[in-house]
Amino acid sequence: MLNFARFAATRAAMALVTLVIVSLVVFSLMELVPGDCAERYLAYKNTQGQAITLADIEAERVRLGLDRPFLTRWASWLGGAFQGDFGESCILRVDIAQLLGSKFWISLGVCLGSLLLAYAIAIPVGILSAASRNAALNNLLRVLSYLGLALPNFLLALMIMLFATVYYGNTLTGLFSPEFKDAPWSWAKFVDLAKHAWLPVFILGWSATAFALQTVRALMSDEIGKLYVTAASARGIYGTRLLWRYPARHALGPIVNSLGFDLNRIFNELPVVALILTLTEAGALLLEALARSNDQQMAGAIIFLLTASIVTLNFATDVLLAAIDPRVRKSILR
Amino acid sequence: MSLLDVKNLTLQFKTDEGLITAVDDVSFSLNKGEVLGLVGESGSGKSVTAKALMKLNASNVVYGDNSQITLNVEGQAVDVMALRRPRDLRVVRGGAISMIFQEPMASFAPAISIGKQMVEQLLIHTDLSKAQAKELSIEMLDRVGITEPATRFNQYAFEMSGGMRQRAMIAMALSTKPKLLIADEPTTALDVTIQAQVIDLMKDLVAEFQMGIIFITHDLGVVAQTADKVAVMYLGRIMEQGPVRDVIRTPAHAYTRGLLNALPKLDDLDAPLMPIPGDIPSPLERPSGCVFHPRNPELRPGSRYEVERPPLTEVRPGHFAALFPEDVAGES
Repeated sequence: MLNFARFAATRAAMALVTLVIVSLVVFSLMELVPGDCAERYLAYKNTQGQAITLADIEAERVRLGLDRPFLTRWASWLGGAFQGDFGESCILRVDIAQLLGSKFWISLGVCLGSLLLAYAIAIPVGILSAASRNAALNNLLRVLSYLGLALPNFLLALMIMLFATVYYGNTLTGLFSPEFKDAPWSWAKFVDLAKHAWLPVFILGWSATAFALQTVRALMSDEIGKLYVTAASARGIYGTRLLWRYPARHALGPIVNSLGFDLNRIFNELPVVALILTLTEAGALLLEALARSNDQQMAGAIIFLLTASIVTLNFATDVLLAAIDPRVRKSILR
Repeated sequence: MSLLDVKNLTLQFKTDEGLITAVDDVSFSLNKGEVLGLVGESGSGKSVTAKALMKLNASNVVYGDNSQITLNVEGQAVDVMALRRPRDLRVVRGGAISMIFQEPMASFAPAISIGKQMVEQLLIHTDLSKAQAKELSIEMLDRVGITEPATRFNQYAFEMSGGMRQRAMIAMALSTKPKLLIADEPTTALDVTIQAQVIDLMKDLVAEFQMGIIFITHDLGVVAQTADKVAVMYLGRIMEQGPVRDVIRTPAHAYTRGLLNALPKLDDLDAPLMPIPGDIPSPLERPSGCVFHPRNPELRPGSRYEVERPPLTEVRPGHFAALFPEDVAGES
């Protein structure tokens, strides 16, 4: 047990190191964008009709600390990031933490919800379909899962919206009812969010489920054919006990391993769905910051938070993997 | 009454290309305390035959109507072919019959400790409590020569050496005190020195537990060392069977002679290896007559063996070969 705690601590430290390295990459990318925050803001002011001189820009640079060396700036940015302080948006001059508000956590929640939905369906269905010799059932599942893979999320979202508008007179868009939109967090607001969030969770979960189902099925079919399963049935073990204790348990490791990758994929799909369902979430903000306003501070903050989430999830799956698979556990604890 | 009687066992697999015959009208029997060596090249149907005794073959298997497998356990005859439900099959799966496989590493579940797998099996087949099952398992690990059995009990297959894994497999197979042990190439994956140890161990245990063993191998040398009787299989048919010394010293069938000639000879290093000519035919194109005739160098063209299937004819007492009676006379 003590060994396990030590292993978890080592992994946590490694995750932290990864995050620091990632932050350096993210920060360098932010710096690579032509022009800096001072120029961008003052140029923006310029379009508002204010006359700006080079001296103004220089003064702004000093005010923002942009004249300091690269590594110093990175260190202070990183220090802030770990405390949830990402500085100000380049364009809007508002605190990013405030601007992002709970949007990032809501986005993450929607993505994790989709991930949970996907595996809650894919694990049992995938295992049973790999074990079943029912050709009709397997073909039906295959068609459904190809449909899930082939049908673009935005199309599904549009179809559902159309359907909902025609039959219910409700577009099902947004994440909050108007009365809760700017209200402080409360239980009622949370319930309202859950009432709205099921749709994006379902749409994102739809293709994620199809994807996960293929993975689970392939891994299971692989395990079922292995000799240790035959050997176990030669010892008189059969039925669901054989299925869950032998191949299913052993297929679980690679499934857990794929979680981090899946979260990333779902997050990438979120902005498109968010655009159609008019959700204000972090993915849409990221697109806005990257594509339209060139707000490097904002983009950097979101990318850093997203990476941190994936690194954290990977840390969690590593620990989980070690808990369920003795081969992993023994190889690292030695 | 013999321990095991297999009569007219025929077994086919349903595939997209049609029915593939894996075992064709095979009969043999085995007594308590006896070791039967089942020998043949890969694809000869020896493993499929052994798995049929536990009905362990893939789900696309079709058994011939006349196939009969009877297991006599404690005065009761078990009709194996009639067992259908997994629950009833436990008698032959781990109960009266245990099986050891070729790859000890692959036959243990990698993420479950050796001990847990042993205890699980004991709880299914005996009335022992969990604690008693653990005690017996550790005792069995000790019995097969594993040092520190209590520590090994909690370990996983990947933490053991190849020889130790196969010992643990033997311990697990014997812990339920089966009447019949099927060993499917149990030493093929092991070093030669370890191989000898494992074979000795199995011989000792058979003598002690008084059970029957079916030893599947492609290695006639191993059979000569271990078995009392031998059955030589080719393409799902028995070519020759009888007492092991008799068959190996005076083989009656050309296929058995071919297998013996193909063995490297340590006492004459200059002797050329004599492989059996030709390849095993595709299972979809079974030769007519004697299935071995296309590869038999001793046959003249137009021989009776190309069209007619030879019966198993007694060559010497208890020693049979798939030959027509007129050839047997000239043989001895």
